[in-house]
Amino acid sequence: MLRIEGVSRRYGNTTVLDSVSLALDAGSVTAVVGENGAGKTTLIKRVVGLIKFEGTITVGGVDVARKGKDTRRMIGYLPQIPAFHGDLSVRETALLYAALKRVEGPAAHKRIEQVGLGDHVDKKVAALSGGMRQRLGLAIALLADPPLLILDEPAASLDTRARLELRELVKDQRGAGKAILLSTHWIEDVPYIADHALVLDHGKAAFQGPALALAASGVTGSRLFLRLNGSSPDAIHVLESTSVASDITRSGDWIILTCVAADKARVVEALVRAGVHILDFRVEEASIDASALKVHAADGARQ
Amino acid sequence: MNAIVIVARKELRDAIRSRWLIAFAITFAALALVISRVQSDSGGLGEQGFNRTTAGLINLCLLLVPLLSLILGAGAISGERERGTLATLLSQPITSTELLLGKYLGLTVAVWGALAAGFGGAGLLVSLVEPFTDIGHYLFFVVLSAALACAMLSAGLFVSVLSDNRAKALGAAILLWFFLVLAYDLGAIALALAVASSGRALTAVAVLNPVEAIRIIAVMSLEPDLEILGPLGAYLTERLGTAKAATLLGGAVAAWTVAPLAAAAYFLRNQDA
Repeated sequence: MLRIEGVSRRYGNTTVLDSVSLALDAGSVTAVVGENGAGKTTLIKRVVGLIKFEGTITVGGVDVARKGKDTRRMIGYLPQIPAFHGDLSVRETALLYAALKRVEGPAAHKRIEQVGLGDHVDKKVAALSGGMRQRLGLAIALLADPPLLILDEPAASLDTRARLELRELVKDQRGAGKAILLSTHWIEDVPYIADHALVLDHGKAAFQGPALALAASGVTGSRLFLRLNGSSPDAIHVLESTSVASDITRSGDWIILTCVAADKARVVEALVRAGVHILDFRVEEASIDASALKVHAADGARQ
Repeated sequence: MNAIVIVARKELRDAIRSRWLIAFAITFAALALVISRVQSDSGGLGEQGFNRTTAGLINLCLLLVPLLSLILGAGAISGERERGTLATLLSQPITSTELLLGKYLGLTVAVWGALAAGFGGAGLLVSLVEPFTDIGHYLFFVVLSAALACAMLSAGLFVSVLSDNRAKALGAAILLWFFLVLAYDLGAIALALAVASSGRALTAVAVLNPVEAIRIIAVMSLEPDLEILGPLGAYLTERLGTAKAATLLGGAVAAWTVAPLAAAAYFLRNQDA
């Protein structure tokens, strides 16, 4: 459905994207992962045809550079920060984009209701919250029931519940045979929502393969903050005896540690089993250590 | 529905909602009524009434129509870019040229609507008070104003495409207006006279400015001998002839309509959204 071959982009002497390639088939999800500035949005904007590029991108076999309008008919695009005309109502916005996508009015209303904006159709877009605007963007992306969905940081302004709903939506769309390309810096979400992952580091592909392989690589870290009930020395001992926690430090009542994103529950479980009473905990979003990823990839290659 | 028409409809609806259309229609109507009233007080409307009203309106409209059109055009693309909606629109099945043409069409219809409502309403009121025989010049003047609006909207859109944000675009548009409407007569014509004090040089200067071209066409319609224009008038009537001169000046306005729009489309197509 989507083929990206050797796509690069340079601003003067700075290379923002360096010869990235990707193939995405119908009924599969690829997550583009990376830190801010890694080139995720740049790559996605290339596919939509919003910025010029070197290389080749085809959607459904049609060249994006030559027939951008035709390829955009096959794409539902949700930008990182959906921007709509603030003076239009939700209904008017949906009808405007429905007309551009040649979708009938009733179908547009149906999409608005599907994303939970049915009670807000007469509200001005300017009066919508960030999350509601994200939903409106999603409704517009889905308007023409396109075979390729491109979602740029779709969970960025969503709360946890909405993120879970988004996972379901992605799952449903994949089940319906859609090809989905999404970018995210929520590493934890990747194994749940994507089949494949492309990790970008300074515009280069640092990892490309199954999403589960990325999760298992151990380079996706979470920072865990635990407030304990006066049993910190014991807890640190317990944590040090496990193999899942590292960089364990103490700051007042809090213990701070780093672990693989998928191992957070194992950390908590180890403490609870040891009889440590956890009063509170916080998780800092998972990050990816691209340098470790390269080492990991090199190790993998040697083996 | 065609993407150009969809964008044009939205632009027209925005113009009506923002009420500037009504405000300018009322301004145009008020100007026409005030000037016709002055003409009436100084000798009655009657046979030459519309002719005098038209003559009185020309200079005012040569100030107002370019200002309105340049500002509207300048805000069209830069405003979308500033709001982030340019990328949203261009991520849909529409080309940048279609978007530009849709905006141009919508704004043109909006300005024409303001001109028609303003001058049309005023003309109707004047004709109810005093019988008239010379409405032709008045209507021709309205058509010339509409043509000038087309050229200036096109220039405004060109400025808009090249500007990062709305404030820069509006600043550039006002500078362009100042140059074309106020400074051109003093600067360019003085330069032409200094370099070559001939009717031919003055004609060349006139076709390089759509405001000047429209002004001369308007004067030609009212005073075909063009004595009022001095050496320029003599060159246009004696060397070119009225028909050829009108074609040349009309062609200049048409070129001013097409060229900036084509350039704007080229630059927009080659920009990142």
